[in-house]
Amino acid sequence: MNPRDEILERLKRNASNVEMPGAWQSQRDFPDLAERFTASLTAVRGEVRRTETLETALIEVGTILDEISAQTVIANNEAPLAEARLDDRWPHRELYLVGKTPGDLREFCARADAGLSGVEAALAETGSLVVHSGVGKSRLATLLPPVHIALVPVSCLEPDIFTWTASRNKEMPMPSNLNLISGPSKSADIEFTLTLGVHGPKRLVVVLYD
Amino acid sequence: MTATFSEFRRRAKSAIEDLRLQGALDDGTGKLWEQRRLTFEELPNSDAMRDHFKLIRSATLRNLAEHLETFERNATAAGAKVHWARDGADACEIVLGIAQDHGVKLVTKSKSMVTEEIHLNEALADVGVQAIETDLGEYIVQLAKETPSHIIAPAIHKTRHQAAELLSRESGRSLSPDDLTTLTGEARKLLRERFLTAGMGVSGGNMLVAETGSVVLVTNEGNARMVTSVPPIHVAMVGIEKVVPTWDAAAIWLSLLARSASGQPLSIYTSVISGPARAEDPDGTGEVHIVLLDNGRSELAGTKYEEVLQCIRCGACLNVCPVYREAGGHSYDSPYPGPIGAVVTPLLLGRESHEALPHASSLCGACKDVCPVRIDLPRMLLELRADQVEEKTVPWSERKVEETGAFVLKHEKLMRFMTKAARLAQRPLARNGRLRLPRRLNPALERQLPALAKRSFREMWKSGELEEKR
Repeated sequence: MNPRDEILERLKRNASNVEMPGAWQSQRDFPDLAERFTASLTAVRGEVRRTETLETALIEVGTILDEISAQTVIANNEAPLAEARLDDRWPHRELYLVGKTPGDLREFCARADAGLSGVEAALAETGSLVVHSGVGKSRLATLLPPVHIALVPVSCLEPDIFTWTASRNKEMPMPSNLNLISGPSKSADIEFTLTLGVHGPKRLVVVLYD
Repeated sequence: MTATFSEFRRRAKSAIEDLRLQGALDDGTGKLWEQRRLTFEELPNSDAMRDHFKLIRSATLRNLAEHLETFERNATAAGAKVHWARDGADACEIVLGIAQDHGVKLVTKSKSMVTEEIHLNEALADVGVQAIETDLGEYIVQLAKETPSHIIAPAIHKTRHQAAELLSRESGRSLSPDDLTTLTGEARKLLRERFLTAGMGVSGGNMLVAETGSVVLVTNEGNARMVTSVPPIHVAMVGIEKVVPTWDAAAIWLSLLARSASGQPLSIYTSVISGPARAEDPDGTGEVHIVLLDNGRSELAGTKYEEVLQCIRCGACLNVCPVYREAGGHSYDSPYPGPIGAVVTPLLLGRESHEALPHASSLCGACKDVCPVRIDLPRMLLELRADQVEEKTVPWSERKVEETGAFVLKHEKLMRFMTKAARLAQRPLARNGRLRLPRRLNPALERQLPALAKRSFREMWKSGELEEKR
């Protein structure tokens, strides 16, 4: 017998039917999702900048890029970045728009000063961003640069992981790569002392807008 | 890998005498324990949540074959290749095969317990493939040519001085142990280059979600994201017990895992891999292989040890265990130390070769209290000990002593007589209410048994002197 059948056969011989309990319901009732999201993310050294509109959010992103003197910037070609005419906004920066700009994506990500992305959802309880792979959505853009800047509309905030999985559209296939990002990369492997930016971005800046 | 009585005792003794290690263990496990307590305090209904999770885990394991088949079907539909491995030899052969098919020379690895269990790195090295650990703690441990000593804090036994020395040697730069930012920065640089040049990434898997055929990995550093996104091939090796039927059930698993492990509400990165990159994806791996490892797990199904398969490897039981906190991880000589290791190691890696482990416990029950799945480890530790007596693997002398003891305890008059006799016999050894046993009977000399009291409780009760004292 091949290993597969052997393992499955042994398990089936000793199996019995037990009812699976239903889904655990979220126990959270946050009065203000944005407030909780901000508190959770800043507790793990993530940064949140709150602005009013998409336009002010994009201006804020420009300010952040100035603060870190970002010359090379990679941006996922997704909402709301795709329609933001980034080239016109920042003519003085070397910009790579995923799926649009020609050239080696990986090589660019590896030397970029910052990566910009949108999100599919964000979880208030844990200060998490949900990021998918897909058309115009590079997984390396949010991973290789030292700074990840994410544009998050308040409307996409979910209370917690339970409400998020409950709202998942079961008809839609999972993207090949999905990440919950809940802060900047960190390690405490040397004497339990916190250090940031071990493999992923040292800084995670979320620009939250209404 | 073995842990006989004499080996465990020798290793534990040297760990206990190592004051620096004792400090590191107290400090590290203490911090993790306290952080866990704080985050559970903040979580509404956490006890009910753990009960609910226990039901999910036990129901899943009762019907494991069905969930594994669902997982296989959905992972295959997403484009991943699913392999099945009976044991370590099977699993290594599969991974070596994939590496050799693609001419891979360098492999980057994200922290994985099962690959430690089956010694994958050694098997790769034997055919000339270099495997680099990329979790910072594991990297340090690998540079030191050691093994991890804690499930989630592999380098808990190393100081920053040792880390600086190892990283200085590797980078050819002199790094200060007091500047952790530069130290970590150097590791980032060294490993970044490896990520970009590796032909294959190998990871473990914290969870397999059956309904979408997804492998879930959690890390704080982001190395699992690197290993599963940068190289052209990703191989995930996962124990068959790690499957969960739905995303609803996965959510409760994730909620409890990081809280129990390190007191975080969620790990920094939770990566969900559902097959290789699609045509429309701008980047990602070209091939995803999932190796489902049995290695003795399926034999536990339907036995009194099935419950141990519910473990999600959070390591919380290590931090609260009075034996782990003194003896340290290396005493167990297993990728799984601490209370969970004391049960799962003999069951998966050999009962006789790890005979001491079921005894490396005071049965205080702290492990069961803290477990997110409420696994009854004390029960299974006792079952393993009982099996040893039954299978007569305990030494003849010990068996006889215990049988005699049991006989005496069952017969009241004999018990009274023996107590009196012992009181007489202890005279030459008793000093100030303590027994000074000869070294042969008491290898750890700092431990002194109390002498039998001059009068027994029964005698005091009968004479009425206890009444007077009240």
